[in-house]
Amino acid sequence: MSKTSYISRKQELPLKSENTSLFLQIIISIAVFIFAITLSGVLSIDSMISNWNKSILGSITVQIIPVNNTNKEKALAETMAYQEKAVEFLKSVNGVTKVTPLTDEQLDELLSPWLGDDVDISDLPTPRIIDVKISPDAEIDFAQLSMDLAQASPQATLDSHKLWLNKLISFADGLNLIASTVLLLVAAITSGAIFYTTQMSLGLHHNIIEILHIIGAKDTYIAQQYTKRMGFLGFIGGIIGLFFAVPAIFFIGNLALNIEGGIISDATLGFGDWAVIFSLPLFAMFIAMFTAYYTVKQTLKKML
Amino acid sequence: MTDNKNIIEMNNVGIRYGQGPEILSDIKLSLPQGSFYFLTGQSGAGKTSLLSLMYLAQKPSRGQISVFNHNLNFTNRDQLASLRRRIGVVFQDFRLLDHLSAFDNVALPLRVSGMDEKEIKKRVTELLTWVELEEHMFDKTSILSGGEKQRVAIARSVINRPDLLLADEPTGNVDNIIAGKLMKLFVELNKLGTTVVIATHSDKIINDFKYPRLHLQNRGLHIYYPTDTSMFGGLNV
Repeated sequence: MSKTSYISRKQELPLKSENTSLFLQIIISIAVFIFAITLSGVLSIDSMISNWNKSILGSITVQIIPVNNTNKEKALAETMAYQEKAVEFLKSVNGVTKVTPLTDEQLDELLSPWLGDDVDISDLPTPRIIDVKISPDAEIDFAQLSMDLAQASPQATLDSHKLWLNKLISFADGLNLIASTVLLLVAAITSGAIFYTTQMSLGLHHNIIEILHIIGAKDTYIAQQYTKRMGFLGFIGGIIGLFFAVPAIFFIGNLALNIEGGIISDATLGFGDWAVIFSLPLFAMFIAMFTAYYTVKQTLKKML
Repeated sequence: MTDNKNIIEMNNVGIRYGQGPEILSDIKLSLPQGSFYFLTGQSGAGKTSLLSLMYLAQKPSRGQISVFNHNLNFTNRDQLASLRRRIGVVFQDFRLLDHLSAFDNVALPLRVSGMDEKEIKKRVTELLTWVELEEHMFDKTSILSGGEKQRVAIARSVINRPDLLLADEPTGNVDNIIAGKLMKLFVELNKLGTTVVIATHSDKIINDFKYPRLHLQNRGLHIYYPTDTSMFGGLNV
C-alpha cells in the first residue's frame, strides 16, 4: 500500500481560512525586509573589512615632507632628491616588491576632492608620496624600518596605514556586531510571532485536534499540517519582503557610492552575498516550519 | 503487559473531574476479544465517561487500565495513537468536522493511517453507499440532517474495521429501519471479531439483540447477562 505524501495530503485543519494568516504574512514580510537590508549591510561591511585588511597587508605609504625654502625650484629639487634617496633605500629592503613614487598628476587627483580642481598644488608645500608594495608573507619590523628610512632620507616618514585602519576596522566590527544582533532579534521576533499565532490556532481548533487524536492521529500528523501552512506563509512573506528590500538595497548602495573618499566604495556585494540575500524567503520558510512544528509538538504534549 | 485475550482491562478505576466527587468508583472490568456489550445506566451515571476511558480520551483519576494488552501507565504518545487507530468511536453528538464533506469525514481514519488515496476513495464510496449517503457524499456535514450525520459518524467509526467499536447512542437519531440496519452492521462486525460496546437507552434494541449489559449504577459497574431474567427485569434503562 503506497502512502500519500504529506505535501499532497488533504488538510483537515482549516488553517487557510484563519484571519491570523494575513497578519503573520505581513509580519514575515517586514521581518524579511529588515533582515535583507541588515544582512546586506553586514555582508558589505565584511567585504569592506576584508578589502581593508588586504590593503594593510599589501602596502605602505612613505611621505617626503617638502623642504622649506623660499626658492621654490631649489626646494622642489631638494625634496625630489630626498624622494630619490628614499626610493633607493626602500628598494633595498627585504620583502618590498614594488616602489612607486606618485606623479604630479596622481597627487593632483588625490588632493582635488579636498582642494578643488582650480588650485595649482605646485604652489603648495605638499608632500611627495611613495607607494610601497610589500610581499604578504614579509615579516617587516615597521618601527625599525621607519628609523632606517629616516636615516637614509631625513625628510621621509613611514605610514603603515595600520593605526587608522585598525580603528576603522574596530568601528566596522562594532557595526557588524550591532547588525548581527538586529538579525538575531528579527529572527527571534518572527519566531515569536509564529509561535503565538500557532498556539492561538491550536486553541481555536482544539475540538478538531481532539477528534484527530481520538481517531489515532499522531502529534506529527497534526504538526505537519501546521508546518506546511506556516512554511507557505513564511515563503510568500519572504518573497514580498525581498521584493521591497532589493530596490532598497540598490538605493542605499547608490547613496553610499556618492560618498567620495574611497572608504564606502570598498563595500560591495558579490555574487555569493546576493545568493544569500535571495535565499531569505527559503530561510523564512524554514524558520516558520521549524517554529510551527516545535510549537505544535510542545503544545500537544500537554493534551492526552 | 499481560498476554491475554482481553481487549480492555480495568482495575479499581476511579474518575473524577477537578476537585469534585468520583463519578465512577472502583470499576473492575474485562472485555474479552470478540464480545458484544450494551452499556446502560441513567443519564449522568457515567456512561460517556467510561466510554472516554475506553477510547483513551482521558486518564483515570486512579486505578489501572490496559487496552490491547498495553498498560496505559507505560504507554507513550505515539503508542497511544497506534492503539486509538484500532478503536472506532461513535459519539452521541457525532463530532464530525463540519467544514469537511461526508466523504472526507469518513476518510479521516484512513488518511491518518497513511492509506493511499485510491484505496481510500474505493472504501469510503462503498461504505457511504451502504449507509445510503451516496447522494450526499460530497456535501459538507454541516448541511446534513441529524440522521445523516449519525450515519456519517458510524461510517467513520467502522471504515478501518476496528478491533474495538465504542458507540454512544448510535441509533438515537435514526428511524427504526436505519437503526435496525446499523445494528446489523455492528453485529456483522462483531462476528468478524470486532469487540463492540454500545451505550444505549433503547429497550427495543436491548431486547432485540440479546447481549450482556454493563450497567452503571451508584458509581459502580454491574454486569447483567440476558439469561438472567430476574436481574434483567430489575434494571431501569
